[in-house]
Amino acid sequence: MNITSSKGDLFANNSKRQKWRMLNDKLAAWVVSLGGLSVIVAITLIFFYLLMVVFPLFESAEIKKLQTYSVPSAQAGDSIHYILDEQGKIGIRFTGTGKAISFYADTGKVIDEKQLVESPVTSFATAEVSSGIIAYGLEDGSAVVVKAGFTVNYTENEKIITPKYEYILGEEPIEIFTGGEAINHLTLQKNEESLILVSINPANTVRISSFEFEESMFDDEVSFEKTDYDVETLNYNPTKILIDNTQRMIFVFDEKDSVYFYDISDKDDVQLFERKSLVESGGKITDIKFAAGSFSILVGYDNGRIAQWFPVRDENNKYSLTFVREFAESNSPVVNIASEFFRKGFISINEKGELGIHHLTAHKTLLQQNIDSGKVTYLAISPRANHFIAESDDGTIQYWHITNEYPEISITSLWNKVWYEGYAEPEYIWQSSSASNEFEPKFSLVPLSFGTLKAAFYAMLVAMPLAILGAIYTAYFMSPKLRQTVKPTIEIMEALPTVILGFLAGLWFAPFLETHMPGVFSVVFLLPVFILLFAYVWYKLPHSLVGWVPEGWQPILLLPVIIFFVWVSIEVSPLLESALFGGNLPNWLNNEMGIGYDQRNAMVVGFAMGFAIIPTIFSIAEDAIFSVPKHLTTGSLALGATPWQTLIRVVILTASPGIFSAVMIGFGRAVGETMIVLMATGNTPVLDFSFFEGMRTFSANIAVEMPESEVGSTHYRVLFLAALILFMFTFMFNTIAEVVRQHLRSKYSSL
Amino acid sequence: MSESSKKSVNNLPSSEDVCIEVRDLRLFYAENEALHGINLDIPKHKVSAFIGPSGCGKSTLLRCFNRMNDLVDNVRIEGSIEIDGHNIYDPKVNVADLRRRVGMVFQKPNPFPKTIYENVAYGLRIQGVNGRRKLDEAVEKALKGAALWDEVKDRLQSSAMGLSGGQQQRLVIARAIAIEPEVLLLDEPASALDPISTLKIEELIYELKDTYTILIVTHNMQQAARVSDYTAFLYMGDLIEFDATNTIFTNPSKKKTEDYITGRYG
Repeated sequence: MNITSSKGDLFANNSKRQKWRMLNDKLAAWVVSLGGLSVIVAITLIFFYLLMVVFPLFESAEIKKLQTYSVPSAQAGDSIHYILDEQGKIGIRFTGTGKAISFYADTGKVIDEKQLVESPVTSFATAEVSSGIIAYGLEDGSAVVVKAGFTVNYTENEKIITPKYEYILGEEPIEIFTGGEAINHLTLQKNEESLILVSINPANTVRISSFEFEESMFDDEVSFEKTDYDVETLNYNPTKILIDNTQRMIFVFDEKDSVYFYDISDKDDVQLFERKSLVESGGKITDIKFAAGSFSILVGYDNGRIAQWFPVRDENNKYSLTFVREFAESNSPVVNIASEFFRKGFISINEKGELGIHHLTAHKTLLQQNIDSGKVTYLAISPRANHFIAESDDGTIQYWHITNEYPEISITSLWNKVWYEGYAEPEYIWQSSSASNEFEPKFSLVPLSFGTLKAAFYAMLVAMPLAILGAIYTAYFMSPKLRQTVKPTIEIMEALPTVILGFLAGLWFAPFLETHMPGVFSVVFLLPVFILLFAYVWYKLPHSLVGWVPEGWQPILLLPVIIFFVWVSIEVSPLLESALFGGNLPNWLNNEMGIGYDQRNAMVVGFAMGFAIIPTIFSIAEDAIFSVPKHLTTGSLALGATPWQTLIRVVILTASPGIFSAVMIGFGRAVGETMIVLMATGNTPVLDFSFFEGMRTFSANIAVEMPESEVGSTHYRVLFLAALILFMFTFMFNTIAEVVRQHLRSKYSSL
Repeated sequence: MSESSKKSVNNLPSSEDVCIEVRDLRLFYAENEALHGINLDIPKHKVSAFIGPSGCGKSTLLRCFNRMNDLVDNVRIEGSIEIDGHNIYDPKVNVADLRRRVGMVFQKPNPFPKTIYENVAYGLRIQGVNGRRKLDEAVEKALKGAALWDEVKDRLQSSAMGLSGGQQQRLVIARAIAIEPEVLLLDEPASALDPISTLKIEELIYELKDTYTILIVTHNMQQAARVSDYTAFLYMGDLIEFDATNTIFTNPSKKKTEDYITGRYG
């Protein structure tokens, strides 16, 4: 460097300090960017974590062939049924000769053979698939009921699974038709107390046999009492009979592909509900099976369709078998249907050898794949629905593995109306779990989204006017000294833990509201009127009387007025209630107006959550209004505008970006707020906008159900999906809010 | 003191119509007396300038004419100001109406964050004028009056915040004259502007004085000398001298005035 000495000295003197300053500057820049970046990274990671947990819900199924082998003990007769154990390791083949052959499902090696019945078998039936109960109808008019299952023993770190057969009604065949006529068709269902067996003989006589179990007090022996009921002789030729799991309805199918639907709840007086053709939309029936739960009937047709039917109750309490939905991925005739044990799913195979994996609730076909078999005669799925075997007419068995973890979820089942079992029509329902195994999980997110928006709406309805009007008054009219007290007081309300608010709302305010509703209503609607009236009177009073109150301090005067009015309202509330509403407004609403009343309702949430978000909105809006430059206000006033005109046309306009973002942030808080809605809403996922009804929000739903959902289950992942939706919702909302705010700011920015 | 003020009132040639009569005007900020009994007659359709050192009360006096001082807490005013014979401190006076008749332009340009058109139309809209044609005419007239029309006529609907400082100040003047006031108060209207914009404002003031009685507060004595017909010199809350601008700047009758003019203090 070629600089003069004096300048050189100047640089030299400062160089150390200069360097230090530069370093400091760099360091600060680094720390700040690191902080900012880590926030972005954290949010991105949260997003991707949620996405990762949710993603498997929308994957389709996969199958993998493990083995092909010839039918074990083929000489023992033709197969009539197959079952697999939990792990899909061991299978049992039931033959028409009454034999049960157990074999290793992965190799086809026979484990043992057992003759379950001696007499020639004329018919065969299974109860609810998960029970493993089967029944043989014999040539001599008797029946044998067997529960086939597996026992698991552990020896030397090895799991040994052995088949187990239990004669439920004793090893001796039970005589059904005394005349020795064969049982041509039969069906059965068993529950804790009873077993119902329905049989049909060649003369088309239907007999219902009911077995009531009585457990002995002293040993494990179970004894039963048998009662027979005769139903009129059928005037058509039955091909199949089914009884539902409530043991109240039987379905008899005839050769014309019609179904006769009987009510057997009173077994002495069996009623024919209806006769219905199942082939109105064409095709011939090829297979009929119950879905898990023995309520929905799956019907396969020769045109490739598989239809779901179940009984639907009409207004007159009469059941009718109703077509619900169908799967029609192929037009090749359906050969066999096998229902999953614990989910509303099933697999099917058609003549082309295409295997389909379907789910009823989701109305989704997860897989359609050709498995290169011959004509499949039997299809069986393991209880965990992760293996299946397919027996072909060429005498081979294919053993496959299924990956199909989350079939219940589809866009339809999440967002559309779904016709659930036992409902009269398609509906939006959230009901994730119940005690029963046969339960159909209902994962509609609509009630939750609705509840979230409803809670936020009512909270905003309370908070927005109060907070914004309060902010305007405080910033624009109030005396500066009073403002210095009021603003921090309201802001400190924000620090109040929401759990306390929720607690107060749920346990104090909700019962209070229920008993003092007229009072609360009069406060809500008449208090503003009363305040205006008071203000008007005050304004009209002569100056000598009111002059002692300094300008901007008048709101203090309102405090006793408000307290007085609220007190009077609450005091006259019971009188009002007994005079006008028969002493109980919630009852009156319910009986006279037909409006349901829920103690923890949207009003309670509106007040409590409104109270929680008032400070947020107030604080930001107040800052925005207060920071409107004074020269704009004076400029407007100097043009002859009144303070009111100035407020509306200049102050609020200029503060609008701030007020807008205050509202948006308040809304974002209301959407994500958990504790208040959890404690004050009753958490009923109903689709009702009435402010007398409760709701369930996404956040409360996650808080309620996450602890009890099994990690990695569909339910667990759906809860994560709810979290992801909440996350995206707030993210999108904030983004839109920010864009609008920037736009407003550039439009109304002031000097 | 009031005697000397009376004298300056008397200095007004009888040929001039008096627009504003200030009598014994005292103004207190809480207990501090900021104006000590001002007596002043302001001629109609002339430019009168208020000069004086900082804190002398010239802006405070100016703000008395449209009662902007009312907005300041703890201000008390005694005496009277009559505009066209009406005391503006009469309790019956509608302040908003007064301010419509006495327009004001501030030191810092303060256009509203609205379009150029809406800025000029603002005063009319708050009077309840909403007819499109009426507004169009008024806006054009006011912008022409403020010598801004040619510069903005093609972008009336764009934001006023995009204008330069000088344009903004002329826009604010257009906004003030759109409601056709009788008096125009200018509080150091050019002190925040560059020399060229200042020149334009001064030319504008010169043109406006045919229509309006203009009162201008300025720090800049050359400006006062250039634009005003009459000049008042205030010092420490007293009106020292009010006379034709020529007289004040060439032959002031008070020593204090002469000292200030010649730069001995201020």
